[in-house]
Amino acid sequence: MAGESTHLEVRNLTKSFYGVPAIDAVNFELRGGEIHGLLGENGAGKSTLCSVLSGLYRPDSGTVSLNGQDVAFRSPQEASSHGIGMVYQHFRLVNSFTVAQNIVLGLSKDQRPRSMRQVERMVGDLAEEFGLHVDPSASIWQLSVGEQQRVEILKQLFRGAKILILDEPTAVLAAQETDRLFDAVSTMVDKGHGVVLVSHKMAETMEYTDRITVLRRGKNGGSVETRDTTPAEVARMMFGDSSAAERTTFDTSHEVGEPVLSLSGVSVLGDHGLPAVNDVSFEVRRGQVVGVAGVAGNGQRELQEAIAGLRPLVEGTITVADTDCSNAGPKATMQAGLAYVPEDRLGVGLAPGLPLEHNMVLKSYDRAPHSRRGVLADAAIEKTMDMLVEDFDVRGNRRGMRVSLMSGGNLQKAILARELNEIHQVLLAAAPTRGLDMAAAEAVRAHIVDERATRRGVLVFSEDLDEIVHMSDVIIVMFKGRIVGSFERDELDLDQVGLLMTGSGLDADDASDQVSAAS
Amino acid sequence: MNDTVLILSIASAIVAATPILFAALGEIITNRSGVMNLGIEGMMLMGGVIGFWAGNGTGSLTMALIAGGFGGVFLALIHAVLAVTLRVDQTVSGLSLVIVGSGLSSFIGTSGEPSLLSARNAVEVTPLLPSALRDLPAVGPILFGHDIVVYIGVLAVIAATYVLNRTPQGLALRAVGEDPAAADAAGISVVKMRYIATAVGGFGAGVGGAYLTVAIVGTWQNGLTAGIGWIAVALVILAGWRPWLALLGALAFGGLNGLGFTLQLAQVNVPSDFLKMMPFIAAYLVVILVSASPNRARRLAAPAALAQPYSREDR
Amino acid sequence: MTSRLRVTPRGFSGPGVRFGVPFSALVVALLLGAIILAVAGNDPIEAYRTMFDASLNGWSSMTRTLALATPLILTGLAAAVAFQMRVYNIGGEGQLYLGAIAASYVGLALPETTPMVFMLGAMLVAGATAGALWALLAAIPKAFVNADEIITTLMLNFVALSLMNWLIFGSRSFWRDPRRPVPSGKRLPENAIMPELSGRMHIGIIIAVVAAVLLWWLLQKTSWGFQIRTIGDSPRAARYAGMSVRGKTMAVLALSGALAAIAGVSEVSGVTKGLEPVALTSNIGFTGIIIAVVARSNPLGVVPVSIFLAAITTSGSRLQSIGINVQVVLLLQGLIFLTVTAGEFFVMNKVSLTGSAIAGPADDSSSPATDVAEATA
Repeated sequence: MAGESTHLEVRNLTKSFYGVPAIDAVNFELRGGEIHGLLGENGAGKSTLCSVLSGLYRPDSGTVSLNGQDVAFRSPQEASSHGIGMVYQHFRLVNSFTVAQNIVLGLSKDQRPRSMRQVERMVGDLAEEFGLHVDPSASIWQLSVGEQQRVEILKQLFRGAKILILDEPTAVLAAQETDRLFDAVSTMVDKGHGVVLVSHKMAETMEYTDRITVLRRGKNGGSVETRDTTPAEVARMMFGDSSAAERTTFDTSHEVGEPVLSLSGVSVLGDHGLPAVNDVSFEVRRGQVVGVAGVAGNGQRELQEAIAGLRPLVEGTITVADTDCSNAGPKATMQAGLAYVPEDRLGVGLAPGLPLEHNMVLKSYDRAPHSRRGVLADAAIEKTMDMLVEDFDVRGNRRGMRVSLMSGGNLQKAILARELNEIHQVLLAAAPTRGLDMAAAEAVRAHIVDERATRRGVLVFSEDLDEIVHMSDVIIVMFKGRIVGSFERDELDLDQVGLLMTGSGLDADDASDQVSAAS
Repeated sequence: MNDTVLILSIASAIVAATPILFAALGEIITNRSGVMNLGIEGMMLMGGVIGFWAGNGTGSLTMALIAGGFGGVFLALIHAVLAVTLRVDQTVSGLSLVIVGSGLSSFIGTSGEPSLLSARNAVEVTPLLPSALRDLPAVGPILFGHDIVVYIGVLAVIAATYVLNRTPQGLALRAVGEDPAAADAAGISVVKMRYIATAVGGFGAGVGGAYLTVAIVGTWQNGLTAGIGWIAVALVILAGWRPWLALLGALAFGGLNGLGFTLQLAQVNVPSDFLKMMPFIAAYLVVILVSASPNRARRLAAPAALAQPYSREDR
Repeated sequence: MTSRLRVTPRGFSGPGVRFGVPFSALVVALLLGAIILAVAGNDPIEAYRTMFDASLNGWSSMTRTLALATPLILTGLAAAVAFQMRVYNIGGEGQLYLGAIAASYVGLALPETTPMVFMLGAMLVAGATAGALWALLAAIPKAFVNADEIITTLMLNFVALSLMNWLIFGSRSFWRDPRRPVPSGKRLPENAIMPELSGRMHIGIIIAVVAAVLLWWLLQKTSWGFQIRTIGDSPRAARYAGMSVRGKTMAVLALSGALAAIAGVSEVSGVTKGLEPVALTSNIGFTGIIIAVVARSNPLGVVPVSIFLAAITTSGSRLQSIGINVQVVLLLQGLIFLTVTAGEFFVMNKVSLTGSAIAGPADDSSSPATDVAEATA
């Protein structure tokens, strides 16, 4: 078990994958009673550092010391028994188990209370102490994302964690839930715990942390006291002086044309047969980008699938460029003019085990020039691939290589290339920049926004509110399968959007009023 | 007369159900850890030949069953290496067990002079309970007339239910089958758990095969199981991975297996080839009905990570 | 520094890997077989030499092997086409029986004077149709309610077996020869028998090889095959791209059933010359599954692999004459299946010792390691 004081120090830590260092001679220090922000772009090495600290990876070289003692964890359990606990962005909870069952899962005989009832009582006490309220006897699948996160934190506290590593904890939370999380975190810190906050969001890092360490391309980018620094300085540490951090601003001064995508009273069921989208109506016009904001799991995925023809409508109609595509299936919707960049790149947008040339003609393999009378024209397919790779700067392909080994950014560019190359009137893009590094995300956004100039319509879904605001002419907010708000770009009130995303101040009647207002 | 027929056929259904039950219970444990092992037929054949050989050498039913069990474990561990460590397609790996099991069992069965094919069964199987109970009308032959293995089968159902639902080990096993990444993060060794569960499944199938050989058929023939292992695979799906339902299902299949005997006694003339089809047609229909069932609860009972190889690096 | 085994996914397997690994697996299987033979008190070298002489050495041995390879190629193709779409047709055995039953019916029912071309053509069509329909009994539940095709195709094998046994052993059916006291099938008329090419090898081998080439072309070079390959890799991506997964599932299983059934046609017409259940139940359908796995579902690979497995099987009877257990044939097949299955891991992954391999294998240079590292968390 961890001692009273908590002091973690990392010196010269290096960990390579396939011979390429993911972190290279990194130093890091965490004191008890502080929140330490760990910042960096995707691929900067944050996750690798945390995985070493939490015992998942063993470092190639360098030392980790805890309260002055060198430690080398061979497993997450060893780290846990030294009081280090990690809360992953993707929760490690068994959905069909209860909160209490998840919390005792994997505990050894002497750590484990005798009965489940005792566990539930102890969990209840812990929850009270730290303000992490959750019903210990509820099953995980019944809980909201915020509650599930609390379970993850309780699980670590139950195991005596004195150091908590929170991996992008706010990525899945709405604003109000974020506040609750940081209330609990400050309670922990007051009790002498140390917390590492892994993030790539500048604002929350500046607001909540005591110190900040920046990783950049696997190396230390700098460490500062939060109160002595400015966002600009931290950004320089993250991206260098080239100020790549600043986003291009898009030209939004143009006329909108007729609707190219109209939804009217659309309702669909989710995977488990329960209503997932309820009476949704809106329009996307030519030359317009409509952004859908909302916390993940509020029916966005089901709505996207419904628009793409992949999920049957229970009620309502969907029209793509004057063609009624209600329940017409994916192929007819595609032919009516819908280009679709799905949320899951590998497995939906791309067939992961097949090579790039196959994936580049995934929707046009059955037409000239790619095939004639049912026979494939390999040369034409290759030509198309070469052209798209060139135009969209897709890198990292080798002839015959399965696409799953390409990086996320290149995969996304490949999908965009294919979709935009098809004849289309409207682009549906879901989470288009999730997991991409800055440069790739910027390239993807530029391609999407270009659609506006070519007089097509764009419907974009993203969990990143900044991104939505940045790109869209009209922002609509989804909550529990309904449209709960709709804003023109100039009249946008971010606080109001945040409230709507969490369902605050709305009851069911209000919500349906908002729907009609939105359309 | 009709009553006697009924009583005898119920009693024989219970005996015929026992090997299916052991194999199905083992498969439930294996599946609950997330490993699909389609090789039951092969493991039962291995259990059958090894069990028969051991029974011949020792004359002991216990030795026959234990040796048969380990015959099944031997093949199951090959599956574990392929499916858990090497993460190859579990379907293909399971099928390879069927072929290896039938090849190896036939090879063992026909090797040696004289071979097991011509050997006589040395194991005597006797009823467990005193004749006072056995001679009770109706319930005597049905409930009290069996050998010890039949009762162990029922105890195994209780034990499997208890271990899976009420013990930390069972919780860990189910966690590995539901969400291996979560189990791994909680400190459970996914690989170890899956190896153990796969071995337990092999033991069940091996015991079932040994019981079939020494206690029911009484001789060794190549390919002796004739599809019973596959019935067990179907039964696990039908039972929704629950031991108690597997018991009921095994009894039903045991009854179908003994149907020919029953009808013969009842002097109903149905071609034996059609009787042989019955369990397979039933299993075919049942698998379709379970899949088509609008009550999805049963289907959702399948372990969420069934047949999905796990690697920490893949997350 | 301790050296540990490092496992790296391969993005790209060159022909050296794709053919080298299964070949090595075959060698390992033969070595394991040798060990088992030695333990059982036989001389493995003598056994293997006998097997080679009996099956591959000389034209007459070769024709016997090719005769046996004929149905294996067809059941191998049947399994392979389904594997391409990641559907498991384990029902080759039963589909083969149905093909044999239907073809022998047509052969016996048509007038004996029917010209051979029409006779054989009708038998092939009838057999293939019966096999396809039998496969649809599993394909339709698979397509509409996602009933596990492994179980359903397997159960149908046992049903088909009992059906065929009943026709000859259990009844006085149209197929059974009433003149003979021992139950056996009626002999097919001359025009319903596939002409021999050399020794026991008959024109079935030509049908099988043509089928392999056609199937390869269909899968690799047509837009139909494009869809099959897409669905096989990712059904969700296929649906996203507007392909009908349901229709293709039924089409592929029906095609698979038809191919297995043609193996049955070829056997009754070219080998048994009548519906003979005992001769037809020699695991041809199951061996097809092994063949498809070893050939990595490549129709062109199915041909040599079938010949190899046929060679092992043909040599069985000769083994007996030198006092070696015939069952070693089945055992060797099982071992090959096992080692090739294990070998799949080495096709998909590169295994190396850490320390020495740090420099980064050329194969993987295209996968940015930082991406991989970040993706793991």
